[in-house]
Amino acid sequence: MPAIELKNVNKYYGSGSARVHVLKDVNFSAELGEVVLILGPSGAGKSTFLTIAGGLLTATNGQVAINDINVSQLSKKEQNNLRLNEIGFILQSYNLVPFLTVNEQFKLVDKVKKSGNLSSAAMHQLAEKLDIVNLQHKYPSELSGGQKQRVALQRALYTDPTIVLADEPTAALDSQRVTEVGQLLKDLAKSQNKAVIVVTHDLRLTDHADKIYDLNDGQLTLRS
Amino acid sequence: MFLALKEIKYEKLRYGLIIAMIVLVSYLIFILSSLSLGLSKENTAAIESWDMKSIVLNKDADLSLRQSLITKEQAHDLNLGNKQALLGQAGIVVKGRNHEKVASQFLGIESDSFLAHDLTLTSGHKPTNKHEIVMDTAFQDQYHYKLGQSVKLNSLTTPYKIVGFTKNAKINIAPAIYGKLSAWSDLKNTNSQFVASAIVSQTKDFNPHVDNLKSYATKKFVDKLPGYAAQNATFEMMIGFLMVISLIVIAVFLYIITIQKLPNYAVLRVQGIPASFLVKATIAQSSILVLSGLIIGALLTTITAFIIPKAVPMAFNLPLLTAVGGGLLVISILGSLIPVKTILKVDPVSVIGG
Repeated sequence: MPAIELKNVNKYYGSGSARVHVLKDVNFSAELGEVVLILGPSGAGKSTFLTIAGGLLTATNGQVAINDINVSQLSKKEQNNLRLNEIGFILQSYNLVPFLTVNEQFKLVDKVKKSGNLSSAAMHQLAEKLDIVNLQHKYPSELSGGQKQRVALQRALYTDPTIVLADEPTAALDSQRVTEVGQLLKDLAKSQNKAVIVVTHDLRLTDHADKIYDLNDGQLTLRS
Repeated sequence: MFLALKEIKYEKLRYGLIIAMIVLVSYLIFILSSLSLGLSKENTAAIESWDMKSIVLNKDADLSLRQSLITKEQAHDLNLGNKQALLGQAGIVVKGRNHEKVASQFLGIESDSFLAHDLTLTSGHKPTNKHEIVMDTAFQDQYHYKLGQSVKLNSLTTPYKIVGFTKNAKINIAPAIYGKLSAWSDLKNTNSQFVASAIVSQTKDFNPHVDNLKSYATKKFVDKLPGYAAQNATFEMMIGFLMVISLIVIAVFLYIITIQKLPNYAVLRVQGIPASFLVKATIAQSSILVLSGLIIGALLTTITAFIIPKAVPMAFNLPLLTAVGGGLLVISILGSLIPVKTILKVDPVSVIGG
């Protein structure tokens, strides 16, 4: 059973002559333990793909299943719970809550998800791997772009999700950090049996991927 | 509460300014309410001290104590019990050596009436003859009159000796002077045909059954005190408008703040934080801001109560201020509900992508 599966998904924006076909018959699947890369230029439909895969946006037609659950049949509240429990989002940098310290970004999650989150020891280990142990009491405004991105990564993993959806996770990182983050995502997929889906145009991540899809003009193709 | 407190802690200046605005608004409302109550009390303090339920006046006096006169014949026909008392009222000017003139109200009472019996003195004793008077403490505090001092009333040459002071003896915003009813006819300059201005009754159902006299309920009488109803209506309108303006101002501020937070809320929504959690955080934040503002406003009002000159007619009443504060809190929370729809509609998709 794939962790996430999209079957014949189409997405249109607008109507009439202004109608735009953003995703065209997209078929996609990612298994647990895999790192899957979606590569594509700006405007190719990467963000739309990510929002549909994450249950944030509804496809015009087609089917989206997460852990074999048809997302389109869920209520808003159920979709919310699914995101909270099963999906970790890594958004582009500067998407941390500005008035919470690094540590408080996780405490906030504790308020709505009381159990199943990473233990303090596991979080510390993760922070060590990401080299952000000393940043736990700092506010996002005190962090560099790269540090923010690594904190965002730690935050996404805090709920111990089965699926990690990453939106340009290496956009603000230098090559050495890209390698480290790529390796971390790979370790995460393998050692903790998670499906990691990365939407990016950063070719430096290809070495760490198990599968690579190309998304061009709304059409998704699997590289052989 | 977690999000609310963290954000206030982080954005100290922004939220400090909002609290400052709420402090000023609440302080203004508290002070206006106290002023309104103070002025209202200065109109009716003496009347309240009599525990009066009804008053009998001359039918043609148009509910005015100063226009009412009761004749000897009418008084003779009255069957007064121990809950009724004759009262003489006269507008006077008090003149003391080396003191400024003070416009006042003379209230003539009989020594054996409940009015004399219930008169509570802060110092001295009750009048024992027609040339002894008891003054409101305003004469002591503001005009520096002392016990034993003699004063002249109107143009009468006979001096009147101050033998006591009493609190809350004000009627129609003038400090009152209690004296013998026999002194009243001198001050009113009436002939011996008239014995008093009115009959004050501590029972509601007292009916004189005498021609040309009519009994009125206390409220009706008080409402007809010159300027009293208009003054109260003015204050009530001012406070009402201020409450409505506060609601709008506070609601606008909270709305702007919420709009500024929407990108953060969108990030949290992506993570699966429920909208209800964010709505609760917003309402909690509004409550914290308004409560803090109200508490500081109340403290400022308390300090003002201690330092304000006694001449300023302000009265601080805890139940009234609590009700005003509660009203302000409720309207502010209502104001904070306005942006709730915006929070519920926040689009998590807006933070995906570059």
